Amino acid sequence: MLQYSIKRILMAIPVVIFISFIVFYIIQLPPGDYVSSYSAQMTATGEVMTQADMDQMRANLGLDRPVYEQYAMWAKKIVLHGDFGFSFNYNKPVLDVVKQYMGLTLVVSLVTMVFQYAVAIPIGIYTAVKQYSAGDYIFSGISFLGMATPNFLLAIILMFLSYTWFGDPLLGLFSNEFVNASWSIDKMIDLAKHMVIPVIVIGLASTADLIRVMRGQMLDELNKPNVVTARAKGLSEIRILFKYPTRAALNPIVSTFGWSLSSIFTGATITAIVLNLPIQGPVMYNALLGQDMFLAGSWLLFMALLTVLGTLISDILLAWLDPKIRTEFRGN
Amino acid sequence: MKKTRLLMVALLIVSVIAAGCSNNNAEPTVVKTPVETKAVATDTPVETAGGTVSKEAPMLATLVSEGKLPPLQDRMPAASDIMIEEVVEEIGQFGGEWKMPWTGPGDKWGVGMATEEALFRFNKEGNKVEPNVAKGFEVNADSTVFTIHLREGMKWSDGVPFTADDVLFYWEHMLTKETFGKKIYDAYYSVDPVTGDKALAEVKKVDDYTFTVTHKYPSVQFLERVAIDNKWFFAPAHFQKTILPEFVGDAKTLEITKEWGYEDPKAFLVETGYYFWLYSKIPTLRAWVAKTDPNSDQFVMERNPYYWKTDAEGNQLPYMDRIVATKIQDPSQKVLGTLAGDYNLVTFTSTDFTVLKENEAKGNFRVIPWTQPAWSSAGIQFNQTTPDPNLRKLFQDIRFREAVSIGVDRNEITEIVTNGIAEPIQASVPEGVIGYQEGWAQKWAEFDPTRANELLDEIGLTKRDKDNFRTFADGKNLTLTIVEQSTDNAAFLELLTKYYEDLGLRTVVKVVEPGANFDMKYANEIPMHTENISVANVAFRPDALVPLRIITPWFGHYGLFTQSGGAEGVKPEGDVAAILDLWNQIKASKDASEIDRLSNEIYKLHMKNQWVIGYAGPTPMLLAASNSMRNIPTDRVWADEYRTIGNGHPAQFFIKQ
Repeated sequence: MLQYSIKRILMAIPVVIFISFIVFYIIQLPPGDYVSSYSAQMTATGEVMTQADMDQMRANLGLDRPVYEQYAMWAKKIVLHGDFGFSFNYNKPVLDVVKQYMGLTLVVSLVTMVFQYAVAIPIGIYTAVKQYSAGDYIFSGISFLGMATPNFLLAIILMFLSYTWFGDPLLGLFSNEFVNASWSIDKMIDLAKHMVIPVIVIGLASTADLIRVMRGQMLDELNKPNVVTARAKGLSEIRILFKYPTRAALNPIVSTFGWSLSSIFTGATITAIVLNLPIQGPVMYNALLGQDMFLAGSWLLFMALLTVLGTLISDILLAWLDPKIRTEFRGN
Repeated sequence: MKKTRLLMVALLIVSVIAAGCSNNNAEPTVVKTPVETKAVATDTPVETAGGTVSKEAPMLATLVSEGKLPPLQDRMPAASDIMIEEVVEEIGQFGGEWKMPWTGPGDKWGVGMATEEALFRFNKEGNKVEPNVAKGFEVNADSTVFTIHLREGMKWSDGVPFTADDVLFYWEHMLTKETFGKKIYDAYYSVDPVTGDKALAEVKKVDDYTFTVTHKYPSVQFLERVAIDNKWFFAPAHFQKTILPEFVGDAKTLEITKEWGYEDPKAFLVETGYYFWLYSKIPTLRAWVAKTDPNSDQFVMERNPYYWKTDAEGNQLPYMDRIVATKIQDPSQKVLGTLAGDYNLVTFTSTDFTVLKENEAKGNFRVIPWTQPAWSSAGIQFNQTTPDPNLRKLFQDIRFREAVSIGVDRNEITEIVTNGIAEPIQASVPEGVIGYQEGWAQKWAEFDPTRANELLDEIGLTKRDKDNFRTFADGKNLTLTIVEQSTDNAAFLELLTKYYEDLGLRTVVKVVEPGANFDMKYANEIPMHTENISVANVAFRPDALVPLRIITPWFGHYGLFTQSGGAEGVKPEGDVAAILDLWNQIKASKDASEIDRLSNEIYKLHMKNQWVIGYAGPTPMLLAASNSMRNIPTDRVWADEYRTIGNGHPAQFFIKQ
């Protein structure tokens, strides 16, 4: 298994290099560059930007050089110094920008994930065990609704309700007075209050999805011979449920767990913009819009890296969870 | 299952810890109050006019009593040099915060204009400048020598005296050396009326509080143009000396650049030399100075203890303690936050008029409209130099412009697009703004599709293709392409397309992102655009009406021609050439009334040609102010030239308890 893992990691390296080049190339593709979008923004606020100003800015930022040269410089810095370049928009190194938003992004993503699993798995099991019961219909109905409603729309509806009922749309993750305050119990409570809508909104679609997957898997597993045998041997129903079908049904959920690594890192983008959440998604979106290419490039690179890493983790997790796969490894 | 649950609990704990660690940098920097009390100019004894004692904000009084700040009279200019700011309604109360939404450091001017202190600022009417940072000026008979007086004992926000040396330093070591990414502003050049020779002004120090600006040729509008082009004309020499390469050497500047977290010294010098108000380490003369990192989720500016203005009763301004700008991601959050009372003074375009008015009572705010010197709120500019020869000829044909003007029902446009706020009129200078012409607003404004079709037939667009759209006389496809950089105008363009197509003109709307739009403008790839014209006075800022460089869509590459001295672009002819000619006369003019007359000629040529067609009159800018926020004027003009909200003098805004 160790050998297999090492092989997988080595194979990932050329993939990542290849991705990094494609990423850089794609970012260069749209017309214009950071200077033109910056100039457009400055002109909109009444400032005068002449052609000479722009040429000088391009030269300063190295944007007048050919793509491959810019890529080579960027890649060299990453490999030699761990320096992912400079964000034009923020006037800061890319890593500083990422760090600034990382903490809250992790909180939102992880809490959302916990919410998803904590809600979806029990409901999935319940709806399978009590198939075609009233509860099954109700939960299935809700989960279909959840899958079909766009996240951001739900966000707007919940914000509207929150505004009409409580007079506060609960924008952002903190109330104004806490944004720059240091951590305290009050700030935690404020954060918890503001997290309700984002967590429900971001988590709902995948929760609904997970419920369906879990239910389907459970129904497959419930009447397998090993379950019947266990029942014949007189094991309690609860024990049987958790020992065999549930464990097997978790399989596809775990195998997709690794993929969610990159979404943990980005957080939801459109929903985050609608809800004014200070997390990575909107930062990335603005970087792409404003052609802040090193920030956007590093971002896409991180995501690619995490997807590769996530797949690896999924494989290892699966091996740990599923005895059948474990045996196959040993066999090799 | 147990293991999974354990894993999740672990994840939750990790995430909370991560949040705790990473957010420490968002804490506000500890307020460092300057304890430095440099030698204060004490030539004039401190007078307490009428025996009243000058008053200051409680938060500053506390610092004074703790010995962390010198007493008020030591912080203010000499009594006779203190600037007294007129209040709009009443003498205010100290305290409170101006809470506003902010899109982040990209919106430098959002907080910039609100706090800007220029050497001379525009007066309420907007027709001339009045002293602000400067105490006054004298000018000789032929407008070549300007003697400008500063305020004695005035100080930077760190307590260091502000003198003529700061002006001279800015001129000698920053502006003329072009350290902050701007060319020497046009305002500092004077032009010989005969030869067109351009000469740079000379700036000389007379004494600590006086300096002169000498022009080779008369420069009647020098102060107005400085107020628009350059705005300030001074910099904190004691701070700039510690970062400029000229003083510390390139190596040290690079080191400081890195220290501040910047990559490139040039970008660093632009930020510190031009956008200085965003940085807490740079002293300013503004009412509020930066306290936090502009990149954090909330940008805070706090009162400047050395601010040099008082109200009529001698209370040191500003009234409000802080400006708190909270980051938003989407413009709709501005509306939502205002309705919920998160913000207390926010500006909106008239698009949000209905939703604001509906919630005025519930949200406890009021909507104050400020007029804009805009020509229209929905209109089309026709690029007179568009590359396609057929299209260019068409756009240059005045009959075509008349046809597309009268072929559209303005009543419907104003009702649907502006909720009936705008008048159904032509693009024209609004009444009360410099350049207003009788009858302009009604020109070609009556809906008359029959006449429009006749005009188009007359031009020779009689042939139709298989979709029944008109083609050029030579049978070539005729498509009107409108380039648009946002979806804000979607309703207007939808209606416009319908009317144009009713006239048999195939119309295509192409939406591109702003950066691409900007590049397309430079490449002359924009045949039609919806950009609005907004000009307070063409003599102050000619960019929208006179083709001096590539900027406004209607004159396209005529601008490139002037900008490149005739080397590139399209040579202006006819009335456009006449406009340029008038502009050259304005630049060389010796007296103000002649400038007014020449400017008026420019406006008249625009009225005659109507290169910009308006379908809905201008709409006001809306200020949504919490009912407790007082002293906000209701009669001001919202224009970039007058520094938008800065024109209301925010230092005297206050929150009534």
